Amino acid sequence: MRTLTRLIIAMTVVAALGTAAVGQPAERGVTPTEIVLGTSMPMSGPASPWGMGVGGGIDAWLRHINAQGGINGRTFRFLIRDDAYLPPRAVANVRELVERDGVFGIVSQIGTANCYANRDFMVESKTLWITPACGADMWAGMRERNRYVFITYPGYVDEGIFLTKYGVESLKAKKIAVFYQNDLYGQQGLLGVKRGVHAFQAKGAKLVAQVSYEVIDAEVTAQALKLKESGADTLIIYADPRRGALIVREIAKVGYQPTLMSTFTLMDPMMFMLAGEAWNNIYLATYMPMPGMGDARTDAALATITRINPALARLPFNAAAGVSFVEPFLEGIRRAGPALTKERLVEAMETIKNWDGEMIRGVSFTKDSRQGINRMFMVKSERGQYTKLSDWYTYPKKF
Amino acid sequence: MSSDLLERYQDDLYQVKGATGWLAVGTLLTGLFALPFLLPRVGLGYLLFIAILMAANVIVAVGLNMLVGFTGLISLGHAGFVAIGAYASGLLAARLGLPWYAAWVGAAAITAGFGFLVGLPALRLTGPYLAIATLGFGIAVYQVLVNWTALSGGRTGLPIQQLSLGIAGLTPTQQLYCVAVGAAVVLSWVGYNLARSHVGRAFAAIRDSDIAAEVTGVNLLWYKTLAFAISAAYAGVAGAIVAQALRHLEPQSFTFLESITYFAMVVIGGLGTVSGAIIGAVILTLLPHYLSGLKQWLPIFYGAAIILMMMVEPRGIYGRWMRIKMYFKAWPL
Amino acid sequence: MTQLAQYLVGGLATGSLYALVALGVVLLYRSSRVLNFAHGDIATLGTFVAFTLLGRKLPFSLAVAGGLAAAALVGVLFFFFVLRPAKEASLLGKIVLTLGLALVLGGAVQVVWGTETLVFPFPLSDTRIYRVGQVVVSETSLGTIVTGIVLMTLLYVLVQGTKVGLAMRAVAQNADAAQALGIPARRIYALTWGLAGALGGAAGVLLAPVVFLDPFMMLDPFLKGFAAAVMGGMDSLPGAVLGGFLLGIAESVFAGYISFKFKTTMAFAVIILVLLVRPEGLLGRVYHRRV
Repeated sequence: MRTLTRLIIAMTVVAALGTAAVGQPAERGVTPTEIVLGTSMPMSGPASPWGMGVGGGIDAWLRHINAQGGINGRTFRFLIRDDAYLPPRAVANVRELVERDGVFGIVSQIGTANCYANRDFMVESKTLWITPACGADMWAGMRERNRYVFITYPGYVDEGIFLTKYGVESLKAKKIAVFYQNDLYGQQGLLGVKRGVHAFQAKGAKLVAQVSYEVIDAEVTAQALKLKESGADTLIIYADPRRGALIVREIAKVGYQPTLMSTFTLMDPMMFMLAGEAWNNIYLATYMPMPGMGDARTDAALATITRINPALARLPFNAAAGVSFVEPFLEGIRRAGPALTKERLVEAMETIKNWDGEMIRGVSFTKDSRQGINRMFMVKSERGQYTKLSDWYTYPKKF
Repeated sequence: MSSDLLERYQDDLYQVKGATGWLAVGTLLTGLFALPFLLPRVGLGYLLFIAILMAANVIVAVGLNMLVGFTGLISLGHAGFVAIGAYASGLLAARLGLPWYAAWVGAAAITAGFGFLVGLPALRLTGPYLAIATLGFGIAVYQVLVNWTALSGGRTGLPIQQLSLGIAGLTPTQQLYCVAVGAAVVLSWVGYNLARSHVGRAFAAIRDSDIAAEVTGVNLLWYKTLAFAISAAYAGVAGAIVAQALRHLEPQSFTFLESITYFAMVVIGGLGTVSGAIIGAVILTLLPHYLSGLKQWLPIFYGAAIILMMMVEPRGIYGRWMRIKMYFKAWPL
Repeated sequence: MTQLAQYLVGGLATGSLYALVALGVVLLYRSSRVLNFAHGDIATLGTFVAFTLLGRKLPFSLAVAGGLAAAALVGVLFFFFVLRPAKEASLLGKIVLTLGLALVLGGAVQVVWGTETLVFPFPLSDTRIYRVGQVVVSETSLGTIVTGIVLMTLLYVLVQGTKVGLAMRAVAQNADAAQALGIPARRIYALTWGLAGALGGAAGVLLAPVVFLDPFMMLDPFLKGFAAAVMGGMDSLPGAVLGGFLLGIAESVFAGYISFKFKTTMAFAVIILVLLVRPEGLLGRVYHRRV
């Protein structure tokens, strides 16, 4: 028992040593010269491409802003902590960032489990939360409680409906199959497609197959065979880049050639490298011009962050997404002016109407709505490039 | 060292020796339960959350140690038991409307039941074979939780109702801290006593030579499954704590990597002792947290730390502590 | 019927990979009773080294040889600098040491090569396919099966037919007695670690073109290979091969006919059933313990 006493005393000492006393400024995270932001992301382990890309993109963009003198005379300090995609560590990190490091806001977070685990603390502590990258639908129905949360991320359900609508109306799709990752991301996409099929039943739309794969699965050959057996004329893919590339290669191998549609998460230029020839003539939905579409502002922004952090050149899509998450927030800080407080920032964010950043397009917040974007458009992949196909499609806001 | 001089047989039996012993225990307990009130005052309130996680890990480690350290049966699927405990506590509270303490007891019982089932193959399997069987169990639990959406909410997850001690003026975190640390203290105390009871001796006999143990009257069927059931029950309670800490459960937190981490906690801390398990749990909870600022370098430093700790003291940190104590006890020899 | 044959062929290719991984695991366990949890990460490191060498325009065979050598070297270094100094550690302690190594290697690979998915250039094409009746076999699958069988045969010849193999078997049976007879046990251990590492590296090189190269590609195959080794019997090399192929086929057939979602669970269920019937594995030697 004595061992334990000494152990506990030692622990407390270590804990106390490990926490440097941080002077608390008047508004947490804001001094006349600096704004402190933080995030917890998977920087190690299988989910690390997301953390390295998104986190790296945000960090590079903030450094770019700092290099231009900051905003209203304040530069940014960005703290990233690794949570290896584990909810307990994510919560511990966020709490420490808010209470010890005194951040002004948490920028993004990856993973629905982590978002849910943090949600109550963020709401109760009234901490600014900028675009946690989780299914936007988790905020629906929280209208009274999410004053300090601002999301500029599309919902997969809405995207699924859009894809189905476009397929049925413009591509004459009748028998639709879905290949999806068996987690919240893929399941929400599937739900969207189901709702779309239901809405367009009169036009003959039918969901003939829904084939899933597990996150840890390495191969998808059996799934490809199942899809071929279904005889669908259109295949909608809700996968991650690896399995997305694998499935299009596999179905090409077994000689199955449906019309292919997919989600914006596969608009990664990496897909051309992974899937090669098979990634041609794919129809994708997207909410902003992506790198590789020939949009000048997007490409310039990507060039900027790649110059600051060359490693981002290999993760262009995630990095671009990171920039798109943080841009509206920076605009809000700009509009809030030199006397920056949380309340003034919220008011400033609510004045943003149909605003375009370097990456993100068409952001709007109102007093009642924290869903910043609700538009998408279709692109098609041709010869290593994405070309715009349709105009904006607007879906109803949920929160 | 006069407190080490034993005058009566009863002195040897006592877990806590003498006045100094009780003083130490008292200080420890007062310290532990004063923390939730002291820390927020100095702005260190966020440490309470880590302490809650640590308490859960301590409980799992003590339970796992009973299985691996005392009885010599390997389990690489303990995250499965933690998951069962977590989901069971949530479901019992939500679907059956039980108050939280009843839900926790129920969760521990359900998990113990599963532990019993997993223990049955242990009668035939040893070493790596048992390890794979338990590994398969862990994976099966994960996949069932992911796919049986009606039960577990699948990837959408299961929301957990907040427990309440009914004491006004305490934040939910403080309340959970008290419950979690209280549970950890009680279960560790049970662990210490179990080690010295006839059950603990039976476990040790099985570890040293199970055939000889059976010959001398230790019922292998009963004790092996009991070992699994007890360690599973511990894991179940820890799962309930984790469920409360996260307030939202997804199978994400209960994978093979977690099982391996629990296993490492027990071995690094010191196999076969309750104190060792506690130390291992504390270290392996704090280490990744304090290294989290290193981002992608974390696994390198974490792995190197594990290798160093095992190389420096193969018998675990507690083993090193024992050696230091022996050195001073035998001084000046 | 063709469907079943198709699943079987797919299972053979995966099974070949599992068998290679299982062989590495069994080799080490036989000689030193260590469950090497770093096996997958050593294999990944070797594959990445081969990838870098290929990027420098070395011919394929040289680049792969370089990758295998790197994997073997890591294994040998780990043995000399970590395992031997820690010889007091219990078996479980050694397992934790390999866990530490797995973390270090995984982190190192991520830091040096980045985390994004990469394409591994392979001389055999994945899209060129051969038809045997109605069954489709890709060139890569065929190559994997053939290479796997060739490597297994070579290993068999080494272990059964050469003096070094005899020394390995002697050390595996009783290290002290072997040393007393003049066999340099340390060198044999180092050789075993190197060989196991190289086998893992070969599995990685065969896996990378099929599932793309990234630092975590071996997580799942390693687990399955480990399970296959156990199913076949942890002290039997033919058992590892048999276990690997059986597991690959069982998994493929289950995924095809029954369910994708519970594919891994069912594979493990099969393994547990086999172990319950034969607790020492399919081809493991029945060990009568003396009390």
